[in-house]
Amino acid sequence: MRFTKSLWFAGISAALLLLLAATAASAAKRPRYGGTLRVEMFATSVSLDPREWKSGSLSVREDEKLAALVYDRLVTLDDYGRFQPALAIEWSHDAAAKNWQFKLRPGVVFSDGSLLTSADVVASLQSVLPAGLQLTAIDTAISIHSPHPVPDLLEQLASGRHFVFRTLPDDTLLGTGPFYVAEISPAAPYETNPLATKPARLKFRANEQCWAGRPFLDAIEVTLGEPPLRQLLDLQVGKADLVEVAPDLVRKARQDNLRVWSSAPKTLLALRFDESQPASADDHLREALALSMDRDTMANVLLQKQAEPAPALLPDWLSGYAFLFESPMNLERAKEIRASLPANEAGGTEPLRLRVDAGGDLMKLLGERVAVNARQANLSVQVVTHSTSASGGAAAVSPANPSIGVHLFAWHYDSLSPRAELEALVKQLHLEQAAESTQALADPEQRYAEERRILEDRRVLPLVLLPEYAGIAAPVRNWMPARWGEWRLGDVWLEKGESTPTAPNSGASPDNSAAPHGKGVHP
Amino acid sequence: MPADSNSLDDAARQLADRIAAIPNLHSPLRLEFHADANLAADSSWQDTLRQELEKHHLTITEEPSAPLLKVGAVETPTQLVLTASTRIGDRDDVRIVAVTRAAFTAPALAVAPVRIARQLVYETSDRILDASALGNAAEGGLAVLLYRNEDLVALRLDSSGAVKQTVSLAAASLHASRDPRGELTDKGATAEVLLPGKLCEFTWAAGAEPRCRTKKTEWRTATVLTSPCDSSDWKLEARGDDWSSADLLQIVPDAAARSGSAALFNEFPGPILSINGERDPGSALIGARNLHTGNYEVYKITLVCGN
Repeated sequence: MRFTKSLWFAGISAALLLLLAATAASAAKRPRYGGTLRVEMFATSVSLDPREWKSGSLSVREDEKLAALVYDRLVTLDDYGRFQPALAIEWSHDAAAKNWQFKLRPGVVFSDGSLLTSADVVASLQSVLPAGLQLTAIDTAISIHSPHPVPDLLEQLASGRHFVFRTLPDDTLLGTGPFYVAEISPAAPYETNPLATKPARLKFRANEQCWAGRPFLDAIEVTLGEPPLRQLLDLQVGKADLVEVAPDLVRKARQDNLRVWSSAPKTLLALRFDESQPASADDHLREALALSMDRDTMANVLLQKQAEPAPALLPDWLSGYAFLFESPMNLERAKEIRASLPANEAGGTEPLRLRVDAGGDLMKLLGERVAVNARQANLSVQVVTHSTSASGGAAAVSPANPSIGVHLFAWHYDSLSPRAELEALVKQLHLEQAAESTQALADPEQRYAEERRILEDRRVLPLVLLPEYAGIAAPVRNWMPARWGEWRLGDVWLEKGESTPTAPNSGASPDNSAAPHGKGVHP
Repeated sequence: MPADSNSLDDAARQLADRIAAIPNLHSPLRLEFHADANLAADSSWQDTLRQELEKHHLTITEEPSAPLLKVGAVETPTQLVLTASTRIGDRDDVRIVAVTRAAFTAPALAVAPVRIARQLVYETSDRILDASALGNAAEGGLAVLLYRNEDLVALRLDSSGAVKQTVSLAAASLHASRDPRGELTDKGATAEVLLPGKLCEFTWAAGAEPRCRTKKTEWRTATVLTSPCDSSDWKLEARGDDWSSADLLQIVPDAAARSGSAALFNEFPGPILSINGERDPGSALIGARNLHTGNYEVYKITLVCGN
């Protein structure tokens, strides 16, 4: 009897082993469908309405990543510099690059099953492209006409807010992307402990009808407002698959052998003088402050080598020429200049007031470092923390507070066009010069000259450049983000999903009646 | 200024022309290069720039007191940007030439436009030592030699990637190695595996025991593909010396037959571990490790006409 039992047990074991071996073999050959990717983010709220996004704002970082789950663009850019068809399958332009034509992919449907039309494309892009471009729907194509050449139109369309969507009568947005918004849970007190707040959550489900094929994942769950240390811990204990990693925690994450990815530098931290203030109008004072800035220490000590000194407005990866700019520290010269200024000038007996937006500890630390550097050149700088504009952005110094002379701001690069990015930055900071035109900035030499003009004027002092960091759990496969920050989660699969894998097209269609269709979300 | 060129060398020539046109620039000049890592590795454009500058009677020196000409090459998402900067009097003179990256990645060849088509045909967590197209080409499948649990296994796969036969090569008594090596050649019903110091033959039929004999090992030499466009020969090369970094498959004109033509490059997601160009002269099977997933992959590389 015992022998029989053993045989039976051995038989079952062998069968199990064979089954396991067969499963492993088949799983190894092809990417795996199924599972839910759990994502955690710092932002407490997101907007999936590209029309609401503000150029340069830090909040666009998260907004764009989540919007890319729901919407598509006309074209995408691959890692090799090649534009790839997305909602447009062909495009062409005239010799002057003023008239463009895009032939749309036939048969593309929104997540509710309705057909994408050229009118949808025109309506959505018209609302997010710069004014002056004339878009026309022509049957299965669209045309874009510009009064001036736009040789970088593809770079613009492949990045930033240039998503295609349909606005429903209730102002919700529909997309054609690999996922759709299935659930939104706003932040709310826990039932069991009303003093604690349950973070806001968004759930995205696979769009079975996506033109590019169903994504490998069944769903993506995004938890908002998780503090940096908590995110890292959740990644370590297997409660999250993809988290944002704060720059000051990157070293720790790497020491803990976590998989950390970094993008090209995406955020510029810089100082902007308020021209309306008499103190800031003094170019000698600006020069003294500029020469006192120790960018290397900011990047390598304060930010633990997780940032780069910023010599220019645009980063090298975007402009290709930033390395030509130099911003050396020269304390002796800074002191000489300070000594030549009247004692009662701001920065002397009266401190120069530096406004720091309370966008996190990092900004405050950097503001304090600016004050320390300035003090080394005998310049008195007082840091004033501003609590309202947590989302960053390069808003000009508020005229409502006349005592503020300089502003520490963050700028998030969101365009793949260096011209568009520089133009947006210049416009936001009110640094325009009448002679400059969009057309002139399309030429790299003229763009360089424009940046040099701005930097030599010293109304803006670039300090450091920060990449984006992400921590990725071991089961996450095919993690191939773009170096400019796109996560490309439609192509990601999980080695071991939590839910039963679903074969492509075998699942039920999304319950579109329940889906919020990517409404601008502010949980 | 944007360059209407399709290679980094062309851009370097244009940059040299623009440098030579800088007013009051006097040589000898001291060159200092600033380049992205992958552009720094390819020094040919730097050589071209030096030669072109000399054609313009601008000599180059190592003398530290000579005027500095800073030259940069940076890859942006869409362009390769070449810059030159030098100080003339109290101002910096800067010249910029931008080349479309896509054009550089797949250069348009004036004589024989040819490009690389790449297809992932198999993926596994086991280490792939080699892959071979099946002897019966009509089947469209392939044979793969794996190093699994410190032993050798040969797989025969159909065109969908499903395993049809598995043969253990334990009889080869291969010594465990951190750098295992083997080459597989499918011959229809049978196959050969070349190993260090021995050759093993086996049939795909179930239950057959491989037979191994001592043989002086002669590994495959360079794989050469024939262009379907003009029958020119192109040699496949890969670095393959660093398993922790991505590799670049280089398809270079073979010897003098294609001198002057630009090489084609294809970036892999990890190190290239094997190249087998048997059977079809227009295609080859590449074994590589994908550093993103940790898996091993077989790619089919085909030369295709057109840009």
